[in-house]
Amino acid sequence: MAAPILRGVRELMRLVDFAPVPRRHRHKKKWAATEPKLPASRLALQNFDMTYSVQFGDLWPSIRVSLLSEQKYGALVNNFAAWDHVSAKLKQLSAKDFVSEAVSHWELEAQSGRSSTPPLAYSPNLRCFTFARGDVSRFPPARLGSLGVMDYYLMDAASLLPVLALGLHPGDTVLDLCAAPGGKTLALLQTLCCRNLAANDLSTSRTGRLQKVLQSYVPQDIRERNQVRVTSWDGRKWGELEGDTYDRVLVDVPCTADRHSLYEEENNIFQRSRKKERQMLPMLQMQLLAAGLLATRPGGHVVYSTCSLSHLQNEYVVQGTMELLANQYSIKVQVEDLSYFRELFVDTFCFFQSSQVGELVLPNLTANFGPMYFCRLHRLT
Amino acid sequence: MQPGARALGTLALAAAAVLGREAETDRAPEVRGWRRRYFRRRCLSVMAVLARRVFDLHHQIPLTWVCLAKLTPHLGEQKRTTASLFCKLTIAAGGGGLEELPLVVSKKCVQELESRANTVHCLPEKQRTSVDGGPLTLEKVVCTLLDMGFSDVHINELLSIQPHASPQQLLDIISEFILLGVNPEPVYVALKKSPQLLKMPVVRVKKRSSYLRKLGLGEGKLKRVLHSCPEIFTMHQRDVDGVIHVLKEKCLFTVQQVTEILYRCPNVLQQDPNELEYKFQYAYFRMGIKHLDIVRTEFLKYSLTKIKQRHIYLERLGRYQTPDKKGQTQIANPLLKDIFRVSEAEFLAKTACSSAEEFVVFKKLLAREEEEVPESSMSKEVEGEEEEEDKDEEEL
Repeated sequence: MAAPILRGVRELMRLVDFAPVPRRHRHKKKWAATEPKLPASRLALQNFDMTYSVQFGDLWPSIRVSLLSEQKYGALVNNFAAWDHVSAKLKQLSAKDFVSEAVSHWELEAQSGRSSTPPLAYSPNLRCFTFARGDVSRFPPARLGSLGVMDYYLMDAASLLPVLALGLHPGDTVLDLCAAPGGKTLALLQTLCCRNLAANDLSTSRTGRLQKVLQSYVPQDIRERNQVRVTSWDGRKWGELEGDTYDRVLVDVPCTADRHSLYEEENNIFQRSRKKERQMLPMLQMQLLAAGLLATRPGGHVVYSTCSLSHLQNEYVVQGTMELLANQYSIKVQVEDLSYFRELFVDTFCFFQSSQVGELVLPNLTANFGPMYFCRLHRLT
Repeated sequence: MQPGARALGTLALAAAAVLGREAETDRAPEVRGWRRRYFRRRCLSVMAVLARRVFDLHHQIPLTWVCLAKLTPHLGEQKRTTASLFCKLTIAAGGGGLEELPLVVSKKCVQELESRANTVHCLPEKQRTSVDGGPLTLEKVVCTLLDMGFSDVHINELLSIQPHASPQQLLDIISEFILLGVNPEPVYVALKKSPQLLKMPVVRVKKRSSYLRKLGLGEGKLKRVLHSCPEIFTMHQRDVDGVIHVLKEKCLFTVQQVTEILYRCPNVLQQDPNELEYKFQYAYFRMGIKHLDIVRTEFLKYSLTKIKQRHIYLERLGRYQTPDKKGQTQIANPLLKDIFRVSEAEFLAKTACSSAEEFVVFKKLLAREEEEVPESSMSKEVEGEEEEEDKDEEEL
C-alpha cells in the first residue's frame, strides 16, 4: 500500500521539478553577448574621449596622457606637529612650499608696482610642499612625529586650492559639506582659523575614514577646542537644518572623479549599473551647492569644487544654482573673480585658460595635479 | 720550414720579379716603401734559408733553427744545454764559412739567451717570421688584396688590425668574404669594426657562410648583413640557432619572412631570444601588428624601450588604438614608420603632436612604472584587502 503512494509522491516531485516555467517567466539566455563586457575604467575612458575631446579640443590628448600616468602629490605640513622641523626635512628633498613661494613672489611684484595687484584673499598658515615642474620624485610616506601626530599629509596639491580660495579669517565658523576622505577638512583645520568646523558626509564609511585622518593628524585637545563636529547627514538638507549660519562653506561635491575613475574598478561611477546615478550627478551637485549657499550667512563665502573636467558638473552647476537661488529664494549670489590664482600659482599648476566661471586645474605631465575645479561664490543677501 | 726549403729555387726568381715589377710600375711612394721593406726582409730570409740548406747538406746538426726555437720556451730550465747547442751551431756555421749576417744575429741571440730568460720567448717569433717564408705570403697577400680591389691605405690598415695574425689567415678570411659577394669597402669596414673576425678559423667562416646561404641570405643580402652586423660570423652557432628558432617556431614567421627579417634588421641576431619573443608578442598582441607588417616595417630592430615609450605615449594620448579582432579601430592609427623610423623630434612634432618636456617626464614615469609593475599590483591587492576589511568592520 505504502509503495504506490511513495511512488506517486516521487512522480509528483519529478513533475514539479521539471514542470515547465510559466511562459511569462521564461527568458532566452543570449549566447552571443551583443554588448562586450568592458571594465568600468575603460568605459570611463571612452566617455571622456567622447565628451572632453569636444570640450577641450587640442588640449585633450595632453590631459588624457596625464590622467593615465602617475599623479603628483603635495605634502601638506601638519601645523600641529613640529612643522618647522618637518619643513626643513622636506626642503632637504628639494621640494618647495608652493604657497609661500607664490605669495612672496606676488608681494615682490606688488612692491615693484609692476602690476595692479588686487588684495590677496587666501587662507593663511598653509604650507604645502611639491616638487618642481618635471621632477617626478615622490615623497616618502608620512611618519608619526614627536608630538604624537603625523608630520605631513600627502594629497593632490590642487586640492589645496579650494581651501586657499575660501579665504578663511581667524574666528570663522566653517562648514565642509562633503568632507570625506578628509584632505580638505584637514587643510581647513591647518589654517588655524576655524572657531567651529562642521564636517559632514553622507556615507558613514566615509566619515569613518575622515575620523581616522583627524585622529592621526590633529591632537585631541585641538579637536575639542576647535569643536570639530563630524556628522553623517544628508547635505542637501543643510539649508533647512542650519540656515544662514556659517561664514565659510566648502562644497566639495561628489563627481565623476575623473582621475580616480580611470584607475579603480571598485565603486566606479562608470559601471553600467550606476548609469542612472551618474546621470543624476549634476542635479545632486546643484542641490548640494544650493544647500551650502543657504547655510551661509549673508555676506559669507562658498567655494564649490569638483575633481572633474566636465563643464556639466562645473560651470553649469554654478550658473544653474545661482539662477535657482535667485528664482526660488530670491537670494543674490555673485561669482568672485579668482583669475589672480592663475597668475599666483602659474609655476606649480597648469590652469585652463578659457574657463568662464571659476578656475580649472588641468593635469599636465610636467605638473600632474588635478583635475580640480573651484569657484568662489559670495552670498550677497 | 718545409715550404721554405722547397721554395729555395723559386725565391730568387720571385725576388727578381718583384724587383722588376717595382722598377716598371710607378706606384705611390708608400707602396714603394712597403715593397722595398719587403724586399729587404725577403733577401734576409733567402740568405737564412740558404744557410739552413747548407747545414742540412752538411748533416752536422740535426737541430734546425725552428726546432730549436720551438724547444727553447719549453726547456726554460735547460737553458744551459740549449745555449751550448747554440754555441755548437755557431761554430758549425762559422766552419761552413757561408753567410755572415744570420750568424751574427745568432751569436747575439746566444748572448742574450745566456743573460736573460725572458728574451727566449720573443726570440723564436723573430726567427720564425724570417724562416717560415712569412714575408713571401705577405707580399702575395698584398698583391692579392690589390687585385681584389682594396686600396693601399686599406691594405695598410687591414694588416695593422691584427699584427700577430698570419697574413695567410687574413687573406683567407677576406677572400671568403669577397666570395660571398661583398665589396672590398664593406669588408674593410666590417673587419675594422670587429677585428675578432680575423682570429676565426677559416673553416668556421666557410661553414657559417654556407649556413647563412641556407637561411636564404644570398650573396647580395649577406653584404648588408655583414655591413651592419659583422658579429654574425663570430657569434656562437648556438646563439644564432636560438634566434632562428624563436623567429620560426615561437613567432611563426615563414622561412621567407625569417630571411627578410635577417636581411632587413640583422641586429635581431644579437638580441636575447626571450626578449625578441616578447617584442614580437608586444607587436602582435599589444599593438595589433601582423607578421607581414612586422617584417615590412623592420619592427624587430628597434629596442623594446623605444617601442614601448612611443607606443604607450601615443596610446595614452589617444592617438593609437589596438585594432580589434576584425582589425578595426575607432581612430586612424598613425603609420608605423611615422612612429618608429623617425627621430624623436619629428615623432613629437608630427605623430604625437606633443612637447619634448612632456615626453621627457613621460619616459621617466614609464621607466618607473615598468620597474614597479609586480610590486604595485601586489600592493594594490593588499590595499584592496585592507579596504574590504575596513568595510566589513563598518558594516558590523
